[in-house]
Amino acid sequence: MTDWHVPDDLRERYVDGTLDTAVAMSVDAHLGRCARCRAAVPYEEGWLETSWQRLEAGLSEPRSRPLERLLRHGGVPDHLARLVAATPTLSRAWLTAVVAALTFAVLAARQGPELVPVFLIVAPVLPLTGIALAYGPRVDPAHELLAATPLAGPRLLLVRSVAVLAVATVLAALAAPLLPAPPGLSAAWLLPSLAAASGCLALSNRLPVPIAALAAGGSWLAIVGTGHLASGWHAAFHPLAQVGYAVSAALLILHAHRTSTS
Amino acid sequence: MIEISDLTKTYGGRPVLDGLDLTLGPGITGLLGPNGAGKTTLLRCLATTLAPDGGAVRAFGLDPGVPMQRTALRRRLGYLPQDPGFYPHFTAFDLVDYVAILKELTDRRQRHAEVRRVLAEVELTGQSRTKVRKLSGGMRQRLALAQALLGEPDLLILDEPTVGLDPEQRMLFRALVSRLGEDRTVVLSTHQTEDVAALCERVIVLRDGRVAFDGTPGELAGVAAGQVWLSDEAPAGARVFWRTADGRYRVLGGPPPGADVTPPGVEDGYLMLIGEVTA
Repeated sequence: MTDWHVPDDLRERYVDGTLDTAVAMSVDAHLGRCARCRAAVPYEEGWLETSWQRLEAGLSEPRSRPLERLLRHGGVPDHLARLVAATPTLSRAWLTAVVAALTFAVLAARQGPELVPVFLIVAPVLPLTGIALAYGPRVDPAHELLAATPLAGPRLLLVRSVAVLAVATVLAALAAPLLPAPPGLSAAWLLPSLAAASGCLALSNRLPVPIAALAAGGSWLAIVGTGHLASGWHAAFHPLAQVGYAVSAALLILHAHRTSTS
Repeated sequence: MIEISDLTKTYGGRPVLDGLDLTLGPGITGLLGPNGAGKTTLLRCLATTLAPDGGAVRAFGLDPGVPMQRTALRRRLGYLPQDPGFYPHFTAFDLVDYVAILKELTDRRQRHAEVRRVLAEVELTGQSRTKVRKLSGGMRQRLALAQALLGEPDLLILDEPTVGLDPEQRMLFRALVSRLGEDRTVVLSTHQTEDVAALCERVIVLRDGRVAFDGTPGELAGVAAGQVWLSDEAPAGARVFWRTADGRYRVLGGPPPGADVTPPGVEDGYLMLIGEVTA
């Protein structure tokens, strides 16, 4: 404590900003520890209130994730970018499982080129597990909290599925060049993956999401098995089959989009 | 206005809601009842998160069984579930912001202003950047309440909203909900009869999926009129009694010898009603 207080003339020059720097800093230091002198310095209440609000808003503003910023730069609306970017973090166990499965499949194929089909067959199934884990009362801890919002249901599932599919596709695309196979064959899982995920979304209108994912995954394995019995494992990845996957995916996505926005 | 007619829901062959008929209007309605009476099931049907097996719910003329009307209804409701789950690695602000997006608040600036408003309503402004996993139970409960307030909903459904709140926070909650109940419909389920007495103009007691009582808190207290006693001795044979702070025994039911009759409270009426006490 001190008995000295800022004299009136000094305070007026401080407020006017006409004090030299050293004296102004000295007054600043005194104001920092003297409530009486602080109270004597006039201020504009409205300006102070606005400044505090701006400061508070800035401090509480959530930090954008890099993926969110990337999506926004790519033209994705802010709110959708936030929903999509948050999705992978909702199920970190799934992300770990995808990386583990891909690593295993690539290592196996590199040990023996005859195991390349394992990668091609596994890759389309991975997004399905992610979708199954992206929405539903058993897998989403906040499901009940979110279930009463207008976007809950098919619209939220669609957003989360797009996020899951995109992440799985990027990871599989990064792993594909490591396969001991020609580039065309290494990418042959892409359209089956899209078709399986779209099928899962379409089925989810009538079935619980995990069952829909199981059904879509089962259908994919049935196609592979049937093709294998008919003319070998390449059959499921034949160019004609790829056209079929592309058409199916386009139709199913259209159906899922219509349902989610109706 | 919310109209519920002949509502039924069965779990494992046991009817949890058994042909329930109710009409709920503006103001605060409290739901009381023992565990398993159907309170949460009823609130989940109202909140559109659970489809009933039979009967009908209409809120503001909207049928939650029809997808488009369900979405329209969800735009007008705020819901605090009994066990609100969270994403523990989200901050408080992020979590409410996430729910705000799902409530179709798409403009970033307006949404963030609304998130700040509801966090301030529940006095969590100082914790807005704290991760959910680091919040105390009471703070999490207030966070769940904050998300229910987003968009100033016409219908507020609160399932056990005061669980985990300390006395000061409960007072804050009461002040907040009583203000909200002035111009909208608030339905809250609770085990706290004090909350009902302090907040609700109407109380509904559910038992075995049916309405056992529907009236004012005063009328519920009146159920025990003439059956609440203060006695100097511990009564022999009485089913419900407890020693009060002044050393006398509060007895519900038949009069113990030498006891003085005392005015009943909401809790007394509730206990008489659900059959914990027989006169």
